[in-house]
Amino acid sequence: MKYAFFLGCLIPAREPSYENSIRKIAPELGVELVEMEGANCCAPFSIQSVDYASWLALAARNLCLAEGLGLDILTLCNDCYESLLMTNAILKDDAELRNKVNEILADVGLEFKGKINVKSFIDVLYEDVGLEKVKNSVKEPFNGLKVAVQPGCHLTKPKRIHFGERMGITALDELVEATGAKSIAYERKEACCGGPLRGVNDEVASQVAKHKLDSIKGSGADCIVTVCPFCYIELDMGQLEIKRHLKEEYNLPVLHFAELLRMAMGMILTDLEIRSHKISLNRVLKDRLQEE
Amino acid sequence: MLDADFMHEVANTPRGRGILKCIQCGRCTSSCPVARVVEEHNPRKLMEIIILGLRSDVLPKTLPWHCLSCFTCLDRCPQGGDVGEAMFAIRNLAVREGNIPAGILAQARSLFETGRVVTPTRTALIQRKKYGLGKEPAFDVEAVQKILRKTSFDKLIYKGS
Repeated sequence: MKYAFFLGCLIPAREPSYENSIRKIAPELGVELVEMEGANCCAPFSIQSVDYASWLALAARNLCLAEGLGLDILTLCNDCYESLLMTNAILKDDAELRNKVNEILADVGLEFKGKINVKSFIDVLYEDVGLEKVKNSVKEPFNGLKVAVQPGCHLTKPKRIHFGERMGITALDELVEATGAKSIAYERKEACCGGPLRGVNDEVASQVAKHKLDSIKGSGADCIVTVCPFCYIELDMGQLEIKRHLKEEYNLPVLHFAELLRMAMGMILTDLEIRSHKISLNRVLKDRLQEE
Repeated sequence: MLDADFMHEVANTPRGRGILKCIQCGRCTSSCPVARVVEEHNPRKLMEIIILGLRSDVLPKTLPWHCLSCFTCLDRCPQGGDVGEAMFAIRNLAVREGNIPAGILAQARSLFETGRVVTPTRTALIQRKKYGLGKEPAFDVEAVQKILRKTSFDKLIYKGS
């Protein structure tokens, strides 16, 4: 299985540990990542708020690069995923818009043809690799570690572009449980982390995150598992912000799903990776030591 | 001041169509995570203000900028009214009036100047090296600028400076 690997800008710039875990686990699952040299930012919501045509053209340029490689896109970030998935759907469907966007893209020597699909890492694991293969890759399962799964909004919303062809939250729950962890139920699981307003309105971002964290804390979870780099920052670093400004302390470790799976596959995280988490991973790692 | 065409101005801006279907039921507000914490943010009321034509109460204000684009309202609107989508039309119009928060403007300028909205911290570069991740794939700034000049994005984010 080969994919055009759309890394985006946030992960390599802020969360190299996420990228590292993906690059470690992909080959174990038979997933080959082909670099997208010369790609550009996906044009996330902040950019879409400024201008519509710029969004479609920038996102379409990335889609064209993948078309050039003849490969579906695999992306890790929910914001990149939504931007590319929506643009792909809009331009495949609307010939008039497609012509307009292709006029813009002609200046950079490209044409959108609508020949590829956009997949999240979760789509690839669930639909292409398959749950059985993921389960079989687990060598050191977590024994019932209680995980609050944070799917993030744009893995599943809006339903009209995600449902039907994609399973979303259920898929992620099943993948988490394939590692031997338990995906526990909690209120507001589908609610936003607050991340999109971080850097725009920090106070509101913290308050939205706090609602989510209150609910997770009440559920008795040992840790939070995310797929989106924005959710990760908002819930990990956000706990420090909330402690400082809203005087509430949670001490809930936050892990990328890729890290959880990597550990379950029997690989260890380096000290530097463990220390890159703002909230100590001790509660998660302690279980690992007991097993060994 | 009333502007009777304002609702249609929003409806005719890309992603704004859904406002024509709004029946003021308030399901968007009751499902909005921001409405719980920001009194001023009330998507139903925002739709109402637009339908009433109170343009100057919306576009120069902070009202368009509280939304997280989480799309919860989009899934819950009984009319398929796409409030969360209409928010993009409203923000696009606000930007044309010079109303853009500093955080969004910084991201937009970073995109134009570097091809990306987030650039690496020193810590991240050191981590990348230690993990043996190699060089980041290059971002094609030249292509980004060609596209953004063609769409006049540069004029939106550099005017008045």
